[in-house]
Amino acid sequence: MEVNFENFTPFEEQELKRNVFTTNLEQIKAWARSSSLWPLTFGLACCAIEMMGTGGSHYDLDRFGVIFRASPRQSDVMIVAGTVTKKMGPLLRRLYDQMPEPKWVIAMGSCATAGGPYVKSYSVVKGVDQIVPVDVYIPGCPPNPAALIYGIHKLQEKIRYEAKHGKKVTNG
Amino acid sequence: MVLGLVKGLGITLKNMTKPRVTYRYPDEPLKMPDRFRGIQYLDPEKCIVCNQCARICPTDCIQLTGKKNPDPEKKGKVLDTFDINFEICILCDLCTEVCPTEAIVMTNNYELAVYSRDELFKDIRWLHENNQNIRSENSTNLIKKPGGKTT
Repeated sequence: MEVNFENFTPFEEQELKRNVFTTNLEQIKAWARSSSLWPLTFGLACCAIEMMGTGGSHYDLDRFGVIFRASPRQSDVMIVAGTVTKKMGPLLRRLYDQMPEPKWVIAMGSCATAGGPYVKSYSVVKGVDQIVPVDVYIPGCPPNPAALIYGIHKLQEKIRYEAKHGKKVTNG
Repeated sequence: MVLGLVKGLGITLKNMTKPRVTYRYPDEPLKMPDRFRGIQYLDPEKCIVCNQCARICPTDCIQLTGKKNPDPEKKGKVLDTFDINFEICILCDLCTEVCPTEAIVMTNNYELAVYSRDELFKDIRWLHENNQNIRSENSTNLIKKPGGKTT
């Protein structure tokens, strides 16, 4: 952000540069939102075990402000961990609609990304992005906890980037 | 009831003195064990276009095409295109198991999260450039030790 230093003495300018930092509201909002991503516990298959492991003490998602919530009304991000069947699809959409804005979706694992091993099945949704808009895709079957942490960091980066530059990270 | 409280707090206090178990993952890279299955590395030079990896893949996520060897004196085919649709790859390791020349091997790389599904389509170039943390038993500079042990 540009600041006009015309009416200040060099000493004041130095002090201001050293002690005052400027930002805008969007970036503060993005910082706050990305630092307290509360995911909806949405485990559907084996990826959920890995997600629980990430919440455990060895990987400890709490240190990134990621605290699992059991209610869609209190959550910001939905980590779709597992196979979404066609029967589960409408429920997933409803849970997504119940989440308050702003909301994000992480597709964890091959099943949520594209159907994974069930890609030829008649009853599995081929990618959760057919139902809800997905922000980050984490491949793997299942992705290990570190890969999930990487994905969450990627989402935090995305939130901050979009607030800073005012444009989307993907054009899709 | 009080006994239960004391018992529970005893466990808590005992764990307070123990060293921390949390991995410092995003600050320090987390090294996976050698048999970890990350994304594949491909060496197009080694590939003999036998198509076995594409045939054994349980999700049919590998597509490859070959062309005649440009050197007319040599027989066989060379690899033209090789694509892994990593969206549906389940990292079962079967493609690396069947590969007779170890052209396709596993790596330890797991940091693969992307913003778009299109980025998960890995082509020959991407897979060849993915040459870090290759599983040591498949890496080319394999040193054989007596007793069948390798380092």
